[in-house]
Amino acid sequence: MVNRLPGLIALALIAALVGSAMIGLIVAGGGDGSFGPWSYIGSVIRISVIQAALSTLASLLLGAAIALALARRTRFFGRPVLIAALNVATVLPAIVTVFAIVAVFGRSGWLGDISRWFGFDYGSWVFGLEGVLLAHLLLNAPLAARVFLAALAAIAPEHWRLAAQLGMPPRAIFRFIDLPVLIRESAGIAALIFLACFTSFAIVLALGGGPAVSTLEVAIFEAIRFEGDFQRAALLAVLQIAISLALLAPLIFLFSRRAPEAMPTGLSALRPDIGATTTKLADRIILIGGGAFVIVPLAAIVVAGSSAVATLAVPVVARALATSVAIGVPAGFLSVGLALALATLGRHLRLQSSRRRTADLIGLTALLILVVSPLTLSAGLFAVLRSVVSPFAIAIPLIIIVNALMALPFTYRQIEPPLLLAAERYGRLADSLGVKGLPRLRLMDWPLLKSPLIVALTMAIALSLGDLGVAAFFGTGDLVTLPVLLFERLSAYRTAEAASISLLLSLLVLAMFLIAQRWSGGWYARTR
Amino acid sequence: MLELDSVRLVYPDFNVDYDLAVPGGALCALIGPSGGGKTTLLHTIAGFAKPESGTIRFGGIDLTPLPPAERPLSILFQDHNLFPHLNAAQNIGLGLDPRLKLSAEQKHRVDGALARVELASLGARRPAELSGGQRQRVALARALVRDRLLMLLDEPFTGLDPGLRIDMIGLVDALRKERGLTVLMAIHAPEDAAPVADLMAFIDEGRVAIVGPPEEMMQRGRSPALDRYFRR
Repeated sequence: MVNRLPGLIALALIAALVGSAMIGLIVAGGGDGSFGPWSYIGSVIRISVIQAALSTLASLLLGAAIALALARRTRFFGRPVLIAALNVATVLPAIVTVFAIVAVFGRSGWLGDISRWFGFDYGSWVFGLEGVLLAHLLLNAPLAARVFLAALAAIAPEHWRLAAQLGMPPRAIFRFIDLPVLIRESAGIAALIFLACFTSFAIVLALGGGPAVSTLEVAIFEAIRFEGDFQRAALLAVLQIAISLALLAPLIFLFSRRAPEAMPTGLSALRPDIGATTTKLADRIILIGGGAFVIVPLAAIVVAGSSAVATLAVPVVARALATSVAIGVPAGFLSVGLALALATLGRHLRLQSSRRRTADLIGLTALLILVVSPLTLSAGLFAVLRSVVSPFAIAIPLIIIVNALMALPFTYRQIEPPLLLAAERYGRLADSLGVKGLPRLRLMDWPLLKSPLIVALTMAIALSLGDLGVAAFFGTGDLVTLPVLLFERLSAYRTAEAASISLLLSLLVLAMFLIAQRWSGGWYARTR
Repeated sequence: MLELDSVRLVYPDFNVDYDLAVPGGALCALIGPSGGGKTTLLHTIAGFAKPESGTIRFGGIDLTPLPPAERPLSILFQDHNLFPHLNAAQNIGLGLDPRLKLSAEQKHRVDGALARVELASLGARRPAELSGGQRQRVALARALVRDRLLMLLDEPFTGLDPGLRIDMIGLVDALRKERGLTVLMAIHAPEDAAPVADLMAFIDEGRVAIVGPPEEMMQRGRSPALDRYFRR
């Protein structure tokens, strides 16, 4: 049947890729059992857990503080700028975040310059745990703030009227209304941030300061690329999957809810706690301080990048740009195609009530890919392929496939709910009218699906454009993407060139985000 | 006595202008088409919407300058009357202390209110574990412990089964007679309120179009607009 075939093919393809990668790793790691330095692996895991826990805690706290202050201060003068900055910071490629952190907090960055002007040199503390934490905070606190703010904005207006009627003071409003909402949202978002920081690659590789701070993801990369040690890579990958799996439960909770909501721009001024002077002062401090932490690094990219635009006019940048686009665009389409096929199959099964379990399993498949990190998958495919063909010879298709799979949890999450919604809304009506096949797709599914498809596509392209790990893993001297080039320039302290590439990458990703934003807003409004 | 004297509110696409007098201790049902201004009337009395001009008086006090919490009234909405993560007893307790620091005596009063709405054993349940009717009873119990003389009801029983709706309106009527409350109740199905209401007010196009005893309002020929509303 037309409805099922693409889904079954997609499922088979994913199973074949992920399955063979896993088997490849196990076989490669099977060897003689001498897995290498346990103490090294143990220390990597310990520091990763500490690092990820601190990053998550800080991101949640800062995100919650910013979200609460924004929810209360609907007329704060910098509100539109701050909200735009939060959106941009969330989609920034990790390696660009590294540049921004170095440009602001580094020894020769803005803060370093200012402190030297006052006569003291604080050294290069940005390389190490502090820098990794700062970069993770810059990337994830805005994400948490957006999720929290959307949840706070969704509180029923009756609750605010009730709070006013009962005369609840600000602290009681926080305790009885805001806090439960923040806690409810925290489980899922914390798991997502922890997983992202625990498997962080670009930030740790660039700012970790060698062995001081590492992650399993970086260790996998180093084991294969620098030492060709498959046994160690396999062991690291299995450990990483095991730890990530444990985090999956709260993630399922997060992903099982409705697709992401658009950023609320016009929160109603119903909240009765906006008048108190203490909250007014606290909110202002949070908005200005937290806002500066997000906005200043973004400004640094723009300022440093635009003054070095001339450095972009070299063939190597043009080639890297072409390579990035040639990888990102097909990866985006492949990811959306896989998600659409899986979601259609899932819907087909879900509508037969007896096979709901099977349908849930398909959703879980898309989610499970989060657990298989980019480098685990890359290492596995590398191990399988190296006896057949040089993985470097087919690097571009490999990078496209791995990037498409990595984006799948996000594309699937965009596409599945509206597809199901279309069936719920019009399924019986279409059946009774006898609308089938293509006309059904065009008349019933497409209107609800058009916007999420565009959002999913641009998100997947943006993710893929920002990827450093997979491209660096399979890349060789000829194959250089923009993030790889940026990493090389950063490592060589060629700051001006790094700045201009950061700006270029940011603008590319921002363009994708703006397209998505425009369409997601429309979709949101229509499905309410 | 509740009096609204030329209470005007101006919205971009909608204006209202209310004149209404309800004697103390009376139950007045607000009827009329959706979008006609019933909810706006209740929100204005409760202080959620600020009138451009006019005065609202209850028991001789001008309510217009008072913030919502200081007005001598309680309000029930159609939905979301309870905070979902607090149990029934805590939701009621908020009516006594908005910080929820309750004395033994106050806890006793919460138990009494729960018993009065026939939910004595369900105080520990959260809203999600209560039926729609039980949730509205909890909200009524909170209004009881607040002990305010004016009660505003914004179609709180609309989603319930017909029999349950009659029971709930009966409970409201009994409570107002016990406590001497003045009740303003927006209602979707006028026939439900007819047996207990002293007055019916027909709200249409932002105005209190006609006020009269239910038996007259339910009769044909009182006014063309009212007859159109009832399709008679």
